[in-house]
Amino acid sequence: MDGVVQLQKQLVDYSASLFDEGILDEQFNQLQQLQDESNPDFVVEVVSLFFEDSERLLNELGKALEQQTVDFKKVDAHVHQLKGSSSSIGAQRVQKLCIGFRNYCEELNTEGCLKCLQQVKHEYSLVKTKLETLFKLERQLIAAGGSIPT
Amino acid sequence: MEVRSGVNVADTQQSQKQHFHVLAVDDSLTERKILERLLRESSCKVTCVDSGDKALEYLRLLDGQESDSTASSSSTQSSQQEELKVHLIMTDYSMPGMNGYDLLKRVKGSSWKDIPVVVMSSENVPSRIRKCLEEGAEEFLLKPLQLTDVNKLQPHLLKSLVHSNKDISSCTDNDNDNIIDITMINNNKVISKRRAVSPEPLETITKMKGLAVV
Repeated sequence: MDGVVQLQKQLVDYSASLFDEGILDEQFNQLQQLQDESNPDFVVEVVSLFFEDSERLLNELGKALEQQTVDFKKVDAHVHQLKGSSSSIGAQRVQKLCIGFRNYCEELNTEGCLKCLQQVKHEYSLVKTKLETLFKLERQLIAAGGSIPT
Repeated sequence: MEVRSGVNVADTQQSQKQHFHVLAVDDSLTERKILERLLRESSCKVTCVDSGDKALEYLRLLDGQESDSTASSSSTQSSQQEELKVHLIMTDYSMPGMNGYDLLKRVKGSSWKDIPVVVMSSENVPSRIRKCLEEGAEEFLLKPLQLTDVNKLQPHLLKSLVHSNKDISSCTDNDNDNIIDITMINNNKVISKRRAVSPEPLETITKMKGLAVV
């Protein structure tokens, strides 16, 4: 029983830290509230789609910014999509960076855009790692016979 | 139909609720998944498409389809064609190709014009909101969506369902079912405080609210 209590505390603390550090925001809570017995893996499923979407978009952004003549409309469209999906899952830092990124697009500033892309990639990588850790802790807790505190 | 017990009403409520069919249009895979879950949480049946063109195709409004289309919000049956019922269309504003506003215009200029259309956007642009509301959108919702936003749609869905049920040549019982459902749903769900008794005031308030989001 001690093991379960320990795991539960670990999960709660880890989860809290993600919110405290601004990596996740309230929207992530909204997703968790939509998870229930009929939709037991909802959060993991949505987040997996987010990873898929993001990796594709980051790839496209890299290619678009490498072009001789950068199509800023295209770049902006990709960033807008990334901003939307990150916002919908509560990946706050990624979303915020996208706002600055769009400003550089408006200014037709390739260097600014490239810098933003690096930052977004970094933050994306961070939120991905953190969420994967969170899901791992949840699995461990469930495997030990515990349940995820709401 | 007489209300004999809570169970009877709940059953009726459940079966009526399952008849809400929402067509959701969004180019983002992540956001479609969330929207679908939110709508199913409100007991709607959901069809998701990823573009305005696909939405028009589904509604049988594409060139070439229109001449065959007998689909509408009414339940008039064509003996050959399966009747297509949609009670609400929810569309993202910013989509590649046809955007939400263009889709809204096409729908409002078609046989589906009586179906409520809700536009969603992550960007709070007053002129955009005004444009959509003027073109006939029932609501303009700001993303990211939450369950409370979807709950606001209940009155529109009910109106749409009642509107479509009126065309059924049915006995009085059906009408009573609808009335009971409206009462029950209003009591059970947390809808926005501005709960209208008749559709008009709600629409006005909704539109004003849309414009006030600055």
